[in-house]
Amino acid sequence: MSTKAKQESIAYNEGAIRNNLSIVEYCRTSMAALSGCTAGLLGLTNLYGAIFYICAVLTLWLMILYKAGFSDWSKYFISRKSLLTNGFFGQLFTYILCWTFIYGMVHVY
Amino acid sequence: MGSSALYKIILTFGFLSLFHAAYSAAQHRSYLRLNELDFTKLPTDIFIQALISLLGIMFGVIHVAGNFKEIKASADLENKSWETFRNIQSFYTFCHREH
Repeated sequence: MSTKAKQESIAYNEGAIRNNLSIVEYCRTSMAALSGCTAGLLGLTNLYGAIFYICAVLTLWLMILYKAGFSDWSKYFISRKSLLTNGFFGQLFTYILCWTFIYGMVHVY
Repeated sequence: MGSSALYKIILTFGFLSLFHAAYSAAQHRSYLRLNELDFTKLPTDIFIQALISLLGIMFGVIHVAGNFKEIKASADLENKSWETFRNIQSFYTFCHREH
């Protein structure tokens, strides 16, 4: 059940890592869908939408760090940076889908 | 469980508020269309309401999703003593007292 890290020999609990990452994945997917809806609602177009997405990703990252605790996030995650960058482009498509859909619903029709 | 209910309430209010903002934006848009005005930007109150409800929903979702577990393998063993692990019920003896 436990794997060894490369540099330091700390034993990690694989089930706990998987649990944490699946929670983060859930939050990230909801964040992408909902921030897409908000971007469409606000009527953002081209580059503003991309900037809004980056802001939303950063906000979610800060909120996850806040939940884990800014000083002891290393108890729950191995890397803080991969928490920010994981699935950035994968969620972008969810974001664009919701963005264009809600933009069409609110502003076009 | 009390705090979890609080986050669910935050989440519900966030969704309702976001929907309300969307409806207001659509109405503003139809108002502009009827008066043949050009769309420049949304009214500030709708803008702020949408942003605040997005923040509220994100906050709620993070707390509703579940609690993090410690990833160190020794984390849940630290609070247990050796007696807990050595506890083998088949080896209990109750016949060691004199009657």
